[in-house]
Order: sequence, then structure tokens, then C-alpha cells
Amino acid sequence: MTMPLSQRVVFWTIVICVLAILSIPTIVVLGASFTAGNIIAFPPEGLSLKWYSKIAGASDLWRAFGRSLYVATVCTIVAIPVGTLAGIALAKYRVRFETPIQVYLLLPFTIPLIGSGIGLMLLFGELRLLGQLWPVGIACAVINLPFMVWAVMASASGLEPDLELAAANCGAPPLSTFFHVTLPAVMPGVISGALLMFILALNEFLVSLLLVDARIVTLPVQIYNSIRSIITPDLAAISVIFIASAVVAVVALDRLVGLEIFLKSK
Amino acid sequence: MKKTGVFTSSVNRRTFVQGAAALGGAAALGVRPGFAQEPAKPSEIIVRAWGGSWVDSLKAGVSDPFTAKTGIAVRHDLTEDNEIQPKVWAAVAQGRVPPIHINWDTTTNATKSALRGVTEDLSDLPNLKNTTDLAKPVGLDGYPIVNTYGYVYVLAYRPEAFPNGAPKSWKDLLDPKFKGRLAFYNDGIGFHFPAQVAGGGKLEDIPANMQPAWDFITQIKAQQPLLGEDPDFTTWFQRGEIDAACTISTNAREARKNGVDIAWTVPEEGCKFDTDGLWIPKGLPENELYWAKEYINFALTPEAQQVWLDGLGLPGVVPGVNPPADLVNDPSYPTKPEDFEHLIRISSKVQVENESDWFAKFKSIMQG
Amino acid sequence: MDAVEAVAATLWPARFGKAIPYLLLLPAILLVGLLVLGLVEIADSSLRTLDTSTFLPSDYRTLANYERALTEGLFRTVATRSLLGAVIVTVLTLILAFPYAYLMVRTRSAGLRKLLLIALFLPFFIGQVVRAYGWLIVLGNQGMVNEALGLIGVAPLRLLYNYPAVLFGLIQYMLPFAVLMLAPAMTAIPEELESAAQSLGANWVRTMFHVVLPLVKPGLVGAGLVVLTLSLTDFAMPAILGGGSQDFIANAIYDQFFRTSDQGLGSTLALLLVAVGSILAGLVFMIFGAGTLASRGARR
Repeated sequence: MTMPLSQRVVFWTIVICVLAILSIPTIVVLGASFTAGNIIAFPPEGLSLKWYSKIAGASDLWRAFGRSLYVATVCTIVAIPVGTLAGIALAKYRVRFETPIQVYLLLPFTIPLIGSGIGLMLLFGELRLLGQLWPVGIACAVINLPFMVWAVMASASGLEPDLELAAANCGAPPLSTFFHVTLPAVMPGVISGALLMFILALNEFLVSLLLVDARIVTLPVQIYNSIRSIITPDLAAISVIFIASAVVAVVALDRLVGLEIFLKSK
Repeated sequence: MKKTGVFTSSVNRRTFVQGAAALGGAAALGVRPGFAQEPAKPSEIIVRAWGGSWVDSLKAGVSDPFTAKTGIAVRHDLTEDNEIQPKVWAAVAQGRVPPIHINWDTTTNATKSALRGVTEDLSDLPNLKNTTDLAKPVGLDGYPIVNTYGYVYVLAYRPEAFPNGAPKSWKDLLDPKFKGRLAFYNDGIGFHFPAQVAGGGKLEDIPANMQPAWDFITQIKAQQPLLGEDPDFTTWFQRGEIDAACTISTNAREARKNGVDIAWTVPEEGCKFDTDGLWIPKGLPENELYWAKEYINFALTPEAQQVWLDGLGLPGVVPGVNPPADLVNDPSYPTKPEDFEHLIRISSKVQVENESDWFAKFKSIMQG
Repeated sequence: MDAVEAVAATLWPARFGKAIPYLLLLPAILLVGLLVLGLVEIADSSLRTLDTSTFLPSDYRTLANYERALTEGLFRTVATRSLLGAVIVTVLTLILAFPYAYLMVRTRSAGLRKLLLIALFLPFFIGQVVRAYGWLIVLGNQGMVNEALGLIGVAPLRLLYNYPAVLFGLIQYMLPFAVLMLAPAMTAIPEELESAAQSLGANWVRTMFHVVLPLVKPGLVGAGLVVLTLSLTDFAMPAILGGGSQDFIANAIYDQFFRTSDQGLGSTLALLLVAVGSILAGLVFMIFGAGTLASRGARR
């Protein structure tokens, strides 16, 4: 659409500021990772790939990265059905005690992460589940679940009830209606929610710290804990590799399902 | 004697050369009453350690040689000492096998665990016999912890900011030009006791009357200091954010090795001296407990201490360990009795019982 | 499919229809139930005080921790700071996120849309420690901004390690969440509606306030709640950008759990924080209507 000039100026000014705020630390870290020096600096002190070759040889980092991918996958697989169903329920149906239920489902955000971490550590410890990786994925699914629920809710609210009604009236049985009408309609929310769940689980630190041990340490925990005296540019290099793989993932997702579908206005 | 094959030639030769007959060759080899044969070796043991140069030193001095001698791999868990504590405590309370075999810990934190009863007794480690008094935790029965070295919370500074040479007193930090350019640990650890002296109080009054310390810390607060942890200090020195910090000498030395312009000193009021140690949580299978003890026993050999503590730049608990070349006569590396004159050592018991109040008091001053 | 439908119909006759939403909610309620079970453990430990001669929790129950939490000045300072901070961060984040989401959704250029989208996800991938270092390089005493100011003769300003720095860090951290919550609501607004308003003579400010904002309200409320609750309970930003003197409640909780080993007091503070956060969320739901997040379209 065409925007009036004054609106364009105001909006673009804000958007450029936001873009700067979002990406400046990333750009700095990106540049710093190519430094030839021993400290993180921007502009970098000479160019070299030495920090990349250092992490390339660090097999424990790659194993930790693999474990983080696993945790993020478990988290996403759990969160998609659970969050989608709840989102549809809240968006489409009148539910008694809706406010208490909403407040309850928001607990993952109102409980500080340390509290969630300690609570889950005690619970999983009692259930003898600690020392395995999949409970960490479950934990990540729990602590970020509202994102999934709300993403689906937001897109389900755009769903025309008439459409479902029409399907039912034409004799479509309920499951068919669900899979052919309801689910496609909320797909944008499912995709954006799932993407967010995956990325957040991949980077989760505080709760994972309390749930993993040295044998199953995930990447953010590994990175954070490896620092005691001094921060070296290999951390910047790891971030860059992380970002690069994320960009690849987003591009792949775009090719597969098309990111357009959940953003383009009608 | 060879049947255990645990600590082979070098350790034995050293013990015999030193003529430490009391040590007992058999005991040094890990043969103890009750163990006719050595218990089954686990494939690995897990040692909690601090990251960076800390774990590198431990690996070079203790873990790798231990693996070479026993064939048992050593995995390092780099969770912070504070953050592993609730995990270990919960494991013991729930009757689970703890996540680590050995905790490399501050003596204060270790004392809390000992008081809570989650530590194994280490009194029967053979190599304890040739350690100094420093190895024995003060105010506890037996050896729930073995201290392995001492360290000093020095006043680290940027020489450029002190053109007249090292600061003589902690009070020098009250100079207005250091406003916003000082750094301390988040909970004030290491600074409470020198502050007590700088504030005109007496060390004997700890913990009964620490008002002088709080008064001095209030003066320091007016300087708007930054609070952080070890890596923050290094970063801040590196980026020119601060001119002085109260920090452990090891981290200052590590920063210097990485090209940061930094020096350190012990001001006239003194610096806090404390120890770190090793301990074993309860709940391990019998054989793993045995090999965990062997690990700590090995950490108390002069060979292990020499390499480990060269890396850390800290004085050990076994006679005959030499300071690294860059730390000879350094105030952060006390060796002679007179070196300890300016170092403040308060018993772990007093610290442990009062620490949470001190932290809270420090916080409430700093957060105000 | 027919067979599946038949099985479904037998297991779940149409007259059970009323139970469907609750059935759909059940998995989520059970999953969050894990946290509730954890909260029960925390609630129990909040009733026990720490004995520093044994470092064990007391075997009797008492409200002493609650008394401390509610009366000690330190906790009051920290609580006020977090609440105020969370509100400021929420308002500013929404103001910044709105145009971003709007442009991202409305632009005709697919490339720009993707760029805006990818920029949202970038900050997640730099760990907190490295992120803090990045900000130090940009905003530190000898950072890029101060160097630039130096060129025009301004003395170095302390831009980091104060309250505004923490709020700034939180806004940066929350912006992606807010935009992602706003965007789907924005996509649901027909563009023609705006064009219609403008062709009727409304200027764009009026169009925004009277047409777009009301329609996007569910998204705004959702985004606002996310930002409010997450910044209220945040630990990382005060820790890395506050210079140690700008603690939020979560930092005080961390200190109790991890530094002074007082799990009882830590649990108490955590529970009080959950209560405050939940009451705030409940108020928002009540003021804007519980169904506000999905207000349009009649619900069955």
C-alpha cells in the first residue's frame, strides 16, 4: 500500500532505529570474530580465521551443538500439538473460567526462570529423569509454551467461524473439518510459533544449566561455563557460526513452506 | 607393591627421596585396609572445575597425569561452584548419585556442604601426612574438605591510572578521579575484611561489630563502583572501563598474560587470604568413591601441585612447590611467615555463619 | 479417513461437544502442570528457614521468610525497580514494535519482509556474555559512540551500567517477541479498511488510532503481556548491563539460591513474584476481556 510521506518518515525512522538496535551487537561480534588479536575488538585487529580454526577442532563444542539441536527438536515436537490445540481451544470456543486458565497458561512467563529451573530439577530428580537429554527438551517446551499457544491463537482469531460452519453444513465430519479447514487456517501461527520455540530452545541457558550434567551439556551451557578469567574471540566465532546456521535454516524454511504465508497481509 | 599400579614410579621415587618414611610406601600406592584389591575402575570420573585457565591448569597438573597413571578418563564439569551446589544438595537429599565425583570449590562453599553433611570424609588420604596446616579446614571435624592452595583477593589496578606507583591503601580508591572506575565482586566477597580495617575497625571484632566495614563500603558506594564477576573485571580492564578492582590474583595474572595492562598489590590494610579445596559428595558407588579419593590424593603430590599451581600462580599446601618465575616475592604468593602479615584470614566457620548477612548488607548498600 | 471418523465418532459422540475445548486444553494444562508441581516444592521450601550452623532447612514451617521478604528495604527497592522497569519497557517496546510489524506485514517487497524477519531472530543467537561484550564495544567509555562524541568534543558519557542501560537491553531483548506477537494480528486486518478510512479523509494518524489500533488490540495485549511478564522476571539484562547495582527481583532470587544458599528465602521471593505477575496478567485479561486475544469473530 502507499503511505503518506509523513507516515513513511515516522515509521521508517523507527524501523531503522529498531534494526540498528537489533543488529549492531551482532555486526560487532561478527567483525570481532575475524580478529587476528587475542581480544574481542571492533574493528578487528587484523584479519584472520584463527578463532574459527580453533573452534573447528573443538569436538566437544560440536557435540554440545548436536545436543542442543536434539533438545530444540524435542521441544518443538512437544510444543506444536500441545500449543496448537490449546490455541485453537482458546480462540474458537467459549471456555468457562477463561481468565484463570489464561493466567495459568501464562505461568511459564510469570515464574522466574530460576524458579522453573529449580522446581523442574527437583521434580525430574524425584522421577529419576535427570542425566537424560529429552527432559531438557520438555522443560524448554514448558517454559516457552505461551509463545506457541498465543501464536496459534493470534492466527486462529482470523479464522472465519462461518467457514467451519459451512464445512460442517456440507456434511464434512468433524475430523475432516479440523484437518482441512481449521488446521490450514492456523498454519501461519503454528509455523511462527514453532520457529520461535526451536530457536529459544536452541539458546536456552538457565533452566538447562540446572537439568544437564557434564555428560550431556548443551551448547549455551558449555559456552557460558567455559569462561572464567577472560573472554576470547572464539566465543564470537561460535556466535557467527550459530547465526550462519540459523540463516540457512530460515532460508530453507522459506523455500519449503514460504515465510510469506504468515506475514503477508490479506 | 606393584600390584596396585596406581601411582607409579615418579611419586614413589619422590616420596622415598624425601625420606618421608612416615608416609608409608604402601599407603602412597593407594592400598588401604579394607581393600585387598583395588575396586573396579570406572571409565571416567567427573571433576567440577572453573573454566578457562583454571581448568587448563587442573587438567595439565592433575587430571591428565591421573588418567595416564590409572587409565581413568577425567571429565570436567564447568558449572560454577555456586550453581553446582543446589544440584549436588538436591541429589543427596533425593538419594540420587550426585552429578560429579569431585567438587573443586571455595573452602567457604565447601564448608557449607560439609556442615550440611553431604561430604565424604577424606581423613584417610595417605598424602595428607605431608601437607602443611593450610590443607586442614578450620573449625570442622576431620577432613570433609582438603584445601589445596591459598589465594589472595588483591587490589588489581591499571598502572597508567596510578602514575605514582601502586596504591598504598584501600583509601586511595576514594580519590574522586576513580568515580565510576572501580570494581568489586557482586556480593563484595574479598572486600569486607580489608574494608573493616580501612574503616578504622579491628579484625577481632569480626563478626560482632562490622560497622567500620559498612561505613567504608558506604564511602566506596559514593564512588559508584561496578559490581561483577571474574570475566567482567578482565573485560572492564581490557576496555578501559575501570582503573582498579578487588579480585583474585589468578585472574589478574591471566589478564596480564593476555596482554591487558594490569598490576596488583596488597595495600597496608591487608587483603583477604582464603583457600580452595577438593571434596567428594556423598552417594557415589563404592568403587567410584575410591577412585575419586585417589584423584584428590594425587592432587596432593608435589608433582601435581607444581604444575597445577604454576598455572594458577598460587601457593600450594605441599612443601617444596616452587613459585612460578613471574611470582617470586609477589605479595599474592606468600611463602614466608612475614608474607602473611598483611593477609587477613578469617575462619571458614565464622565466614559461613555470617556470610549471608554480609552479602545482604553489602547488597543493600550497593543497591540503594 | 472415513474409518478414522467412525472411530472418532464412537469414541466421541457429538453430544460431548461441550467438552471439546477442555479436551483441547488438557495437554497444555498438563504440561504446565510440571511447573506447578515444581511450585509445590518451592512453596514448601519457602516455609522453612535456613540454619547456618547446619545449612539445612528447618524441619518446622514458619512465615519468617515472608516477613523478611516483605519488610526488608533491599527487596522493596529491587521490587519497585523491576515493576517500574517492566512497565516502562512494555510501553516503549510496543511503541517501537508497532511500526516494525506494520511495515513487515504491509511492504510489497518480499526481500524487505524477509530481511526484517531475519533481523528479528539475529539477537537470539549471540549468547548473553558475548552480547554484553558487543554492547561494551559500542557503548563503553572507550566505545564507538563515545569515540564519535569525542570527535565533536563531548567528554565520555557513562552509557552502560545504569538503570537506563538495563531498560535499553530489555527493550532490545523484547522487541522480537513483541513484533512476532503483533504481526499475525496485523495480517488479519484487511488493507482496504485503511484505504477506505483515508479516502474518507482521515489522515494517517487518525487511521492508525481509530482503525488499525482497535483491530490490532488483541496482538497489542498479547505482546504487552509477553513483554511485561518476561521483563518482570528477567535476570540476564540487569546482571550484564546493570553493573551490579541495578538488580531486579530475579537477581535477588538468584543470590538467595546460589550465593547465600538460602533456598527458603529464594523460594519465597520467587513465589511472591509469581503472585504479582499472575495478578497483573489477570488484571490485563479482565480489563481487556479474557477473550481479548481472539476477540474478533463470534466464538462458539
